[in-house]
Amino acid sequence: MGPHTHLPVTLSVNGSRFPLLIEPRRTLLDALRHDLALTGTKKVCDAGDCGACTVIVDGRAVYACLLLAVDCDDRDITTIEGLAKGNALDPVQEAFIQHDAFQCGFCTSGQIMSLRALLDANPEPSDDQILRAVTGNLCRCGAYLNILKAGRLAADMQRQAAADV
Amino acid sequence: MKPFDFARPDTIAAAVALLDGRDASRPNRSALLAGGTDLLTLMKADLYAPELLIDIKRLAELDNRIEETAEGLTIGALVTLSQLEDDPRIQSLVPALAEAAALAATPQLRHMATIGGNLLQRPRCWYFRKPGIHCWLKGGDDCPARQGENQLHALFDVSPCVAVHPSDPATALLALAASVRLRGAAGERELPLAAFFAPPTDERRQETVIGNDELIVSIQIPAAAPGTRSTYLKAMNRKVWAFALAGVAAAIHMDGNRIAQARLALGGVAPVPWRAESAEQVLTGAEPSPEIIARAAESALASAEPLAHNGYKIPLAKALVRRALTRLTAPAFPGA
Amino acid sequence: MAKLHIEPKQSEEGEDGAEFQVVEDEGILAWDADSELLVVGQSYPRLEGREKVTGRARYSSDVRLPGQLYARVLRSPYPHARIRNIDITKAEQSPGVHAVICAANVPRIAWYEESVLFDATVRLVGDEIAAVAAESDELAQDALRLIEVDYESLPFVTTIEEALRPDAPKVHDGGNIAGEPTTYERGDPESGLHEADVVVTGDFETPCALHNAFESHGCTASWEGDSLTLWDSTQAIFVVRQQVAEKLKMPEHRVRVIKQHMGGGFGAKQIPWKHDVIAALLSKQAGRPVQLLLDREAENMAAGNRNPTRQHVQLGAKRDGTLTAIVARIEQSAGAYRTGGEASNVSGTYQTLYRCPNVRTEQTAVYTNTGPAVAFRAPGHVEAAFALEQAMDELARALDLDPVALRRRNYAEVDQLEDKPFTLPEGLRLSYDRVTETFGWGERTAQPADSVKRRGVGFAAHDWSGGTGHPPGYAWIELNSDGTADVVTGTQDIGTGARTGLAQVAAEELGLPLANIAFQLGDTATGPYSPVSSGSATQATIGPALRAAAADVKAQLLEVASVVLEIGVGRLSVRDGRVLVDGDTERAIAVGEVMQKIAPHTLQARGARAPNPADMTIRTFGAQCVELEVDTETGEITVLRIVTAHDCGRIINPALVDSQVVGGVTQGVGFALSEERIVDTRLGIVLNANLEEYHVPTVADVPVIEHARVGVPDSAANSTGAKGIGEPPLIPTAPAIANAVFDAIGIRFRAGPLTRQRVLAALAARETNGSGEADS
Ligand SMILES: Cc1cc2nc3c(=O)[nH]c(=O)nc-3n(C[C@H](O)[C@H](O)[C@H](O)COP(=O)(O)OP(=O)(O)OC[C@H]3O[C@@H](n4cnc5c(N)ncnc54)[C@H](O)[C@@H]3O)c2cc1C
Ligand code: SF4
Ligand code: FES
Ligand code: FES
Repeated sequence: MGPHTHLPVTLSVNGSRFPLLIEPRRTLLDALRHDLALTGTKKVCDAGDCGACTVIVDGRAVYACLLLAVDCDDRDITTIEGLAKGNALDPVQEAFIQHDAFQCGFCTSGQIMSLRALLDANPEPSDDQILRAVTGNLCRCGAYLNILKAGRLAADMQRQAAADV
Repeated sequence: MKPFDFARPDTIAAAVALLDGRDASRPNRSALLAGGTDLLTLMKADLYAPELLIDIKRLAELDNRIEETAEGLTIGALVTLSQLEDDPRIQSLVPALAEAAALAATPQLRHMATIGGNLLQRPRCWYFRKPGIHCWLKGGDDCPARQGENQLHALFDVSPCVAVHPSDPATALLALAASVRLRGAAGERELPLAAFFAPPTDERRQETVIGNDELIVSIQIPAAAPGTRSTYLKAMNRKVWAFALAGVAAAIHMDGNRIAQARLALGGVAPVPWRAESAEQVLTGAEPSPEIIARAAESALASAEPLAHNGYKIPLAKALVRRALTRLTAPAFPGA
Repeated sequence: MAKLHIEPKQSEEGEDGAEFQVVEDEGILAWDADSELLVVGQSYPRLEGREKVTGRARYSSDVRLPGQLYARVLRSPYPHARIRNIDITKAEQSPGVHAVICAANVPRIAWYEESVLFDATVRLVGDEIAAVAAESDELAQDALRLIEVDYESLPFVTTIEEALRPDAPKVHDGGNIAGEPTTYERGDPESGLHEADVVVTGDFETPCALHNAFESHGCTASWEGDSLTLWDSTQAIFVVRQQVAEKLKMPEHRVRVIKQHMGGGFGAKQIPWKHDVIAALLSKQAGRPVQLLLDREAENMAAGNRNPTRQHVQLGAKRDGTLTAIVARIEQSAGAYRTGGEASNVSGTYQTLYRCPNVRTEQTAVYTNTGPAVAFRAPGHVEAAFALEQAMDELARALDLDPVALRRRNYAEVDQLEDKPFTLPEGLRLSYDRVTETFGWGERTAQPADSVKRRGVGFAAHDWSGGTGHPPGYAWIELNSDGTADVVTGTQDIGTGARTGLAQVAAEELGLPLANIAFQLGDTATGPYSPVSSGSATQATIGPALRAAAADVKAQLLEVASVVLEIGVGRLSVRDGRVLVDGDTERAIAVGEVMQKIAPHTLQARGARAPNPADMTIRTFGAQCVELEVDTETGEITVLRIVTAHDCGRIINPALVDSQVVGGVTQGVGFALSEERIVDTRLGIVLNANLEEYHVPTVADVPVIEHARVGVPDSAANSTGAKGIGEPPLIPTAPAIANAVFDAIGIRFRAGPLTRQRVLAALAARETNGSGEADS
């Protein structure tokens, strides 16, 4: 096995562009957590079995542990760190606090990103759509019922905010 | 994961030129990367260590669209499972496929997973997936699952390997009489799914007959007779996010109150998606009734040879067959 | 100086190795049931909520230090082997590698009874052999592949049954019996069985469950000269500090352990594991900080599990339901090592939950060549309840009694083990009342029209020896010159919301709004000693210590206010941030205004947790009702509704308690229906050491879960009246589900979990032989 080249990649994360030189085998998850020190996205299984690493790429919720960073060149990536606008929390974040939708908090970034992706695509989801949106996010602490309530509240808050403008 | 190089060719021909073996028993030099959801899990476990990954996801020539023509539907290899789940044409013309896609994996995985990669995903057999176990499918001498923890394994003994094929869409596509269009160094060929999938043999320890230098270009689903109904049912060990313990896809064309044509496929029961032809014969020409449906279900599982711990899959698969057929032959079937 | 109680230490879970314990008196009276509390009892959102929803909460795995390296551990691929030779030279030369350690180049550090850090004999697939630190995780993995090990494979055992065979291969030189078997007897169980009108007998088996806390075990280690800092994912920072210091022969003040946030532990992180010392050694060798995180597979092979059990149970009763005998013979697998944290007392609940004069329990732990067991949320009780509560259900059916009525008939008013009264003897009765009322127990639900689907309801009760508080434990409070307060303890918030519940107690006693409190925990360098977060103890241990500290500060504040206002202390009190003057509302003054008079000075105090009452037993209780549906063709079980009630004393924060309850029940659903470690007994390999085939519940598996709060303060237990709730909700779920399945389809499942495989096999067996018994 000869030496393998590092490749230049530009990751567009939360509106900023980060040119990097990385090994092709580095996953997007490791690139975020290590190269960019964006540690809000969590690694739990590293195999597509948990959902803790969920980020939004080009508008869709995906698992960062099963994407290569080189494969994300110039794609539009949003992580948990990109949701709050200044000090103002995203409605999903706000709703999670209000409904105590987390315990240890380790699955939380992923849960929130799945719901954010849902609300971006479908601002008026049914309860069933909210549930389906987080079927790819395990929570070992068992905060599910509050996560569903928070999803509902976030949708309502967002609709209310849209109606107010 | 071992280190590798990364290439992003511009044409299918260039991609094919970079390809060679994909047989897991031999060291691989290159592999195609689509969604990566299966390939990367294999590579992380060091089960697969290509020296070169060929990214085909941005290959303009390779389609990520679904097209409807008079002959039927053409699904580009890069179409994702979520596209299949959400596409109104798939939902109305071949609901079994939309349902199978929707029941597979999770929303995030469905956004990433392509249909081409889905057909080529490797078994989830837990012996296979353990790096330390050199089982038959990985080039070893024997299959530890046969006498071991085989509760998730195959009912139909057609290969030295008793792993089951993990794909839900493949089961649906088999019932829909789909075929696969392949392109390789020697040109293009089209294979019916029933020929594309083949139980692994000593010489070919993989689940398909795809050549080492071939890639999947698209999947064709022939236009069915108007009024053809189809559905896919899946049983899992929890409500979502698990591979099928058993899956059943059925497509039925009714002529008046008789079944003019029936296609039935089972998943989770064999190393390849499993067509239940004898059950189809029971159904064809018959007037649907609980008795006929029960006979078809019995017939579908008649040649099953359960291992020590998977006998429960027989009543399970039969129940799914009965439910799928009952649903499709109900007078009040939606759209009937 | 406060009065000290120095006594031999005894504790169930959370064994920390202390021989004696020193506990101070608090000198604080308990809040009584009608104290008017402002902050306690309110559902405040978690103090760390914002950090957790923005991704800024820093867990041990999120630490990033300059020059940080990443470590990987080489683990045994054999369940039992002798290591003839290890060659690390190639690994040392691998690119980016800064340290490689194995038995040859580290000191001999004793671990697990007669074993050592890197033992020449490995006893499970996953046992630690060597470790590497490199510039990235990928490079560390590359180096790991280059370590050459010459193994001599040895015979092994993986099941309780195999381990107990006379000719079984020995996991340890001393044989396969782990520790001393325990036997307990009261009365005369034989004559109790003899005089019974009905005897039910059953052999039960519970699976090995895996904690699967979302954050795996791991730490970041960094040296400054002779001082070591460990950011560890642990439930016990002080125990880790003491143990790491001892193993590395360092003075304790040179070891600092920090843990701000933790991605769950569920008991598996209540002891120090080898990763702490391995990371420290690698970091020392490399001269750079090292982060060592277990991957999911290692986590599930080698970092703890709920011990599988086999339980032979006999219950005898009179016609009217009065229990005459309880006999249980229990075997459990400790795995390859006794970790010190495995203390899974399966016998306990057989001895205490029901009034019965004649009881015998025998409990034997065996070694097997599998991952070591460690406490998992209500250890022992979860396993025992699966058997005992199903046996009680069988007994009720045999006697044609309502299952709840049977339990009420055998109500234990006192602690029969020590012949002491309970601090809240009606705790269990209140739980029965609340849960049955809320559920509508006794009102039969209609069967669905589709005869393929059968509905059933089930009931189970539990007691739990935890939740009592584990003194000693301490807190410091500093009232700042503007009327805000810094509250410091050395406890941990493992995801339960401990920070918030504890801050509420401090705020209440100080008379300040919660917003005026800053709460610090999780750092041995900056906080006073607190015990391991286990046994549902944190709120009940540290809450009273905080009250004591706060009361002291408050007294000082009132003295200052008395001088400032020129009013006698006796007329002053503090409430909601204001010093109030009895009989003169006009003169009330903000705490901050008083404190401004001494600015920039502050007022401080330290508080200690008093001993638990000597003449009474503290216990937590609860009960659950389940409704579910079984699809008799596909074997699918759909849990529809679970109502649960628990005596946890005073509820400090209802929302947080509800979350603990719902979370525990959710884990119980997993334990009942889908969670089971699968080991190939011929290879000794865990086949599902992942989250793919080890099935924890998803959002779609969770039924409606209702917490019917009891909320009666247990004022005799401690000065806050609050007991723990972390563990208990999980205990009765699996047996209540199994009882409901019996109710639905008439098949008794004595081995769990109730997967489709088990349900369909049992249904098929009944077809052929008509029996209502499931094979295990
Ligand atoms: C946790 C988890 C759960 C899952 N659950 C389910 C489930 O319930 N049901 C189900 O059906 N599936 C399930 N899957 C499998 C998933 O659907 C497949 O991994 C996915 O469809 C593969 O597609 P991909 O694009 O990611 O393929 P990749 O991983 O990129 O590729 C897979 C293989 O196909 C080859 N390949 C890809 N595209 C082509 C092409 N066009 N031509 C030739 N070769 C190609 C690759 O070289 C590779 O060998 C699950 C996967 C995971 C990780
Ligand atoms: S079933 Fe197939 S994949 Fe599994 S162990 Fe046997 S040969 Fe290997
Ligand atoms: S870490 Fe990506 S799905 Fe678990
Ligand atoms: S909050 Fe702990 S895993 Fe979800």
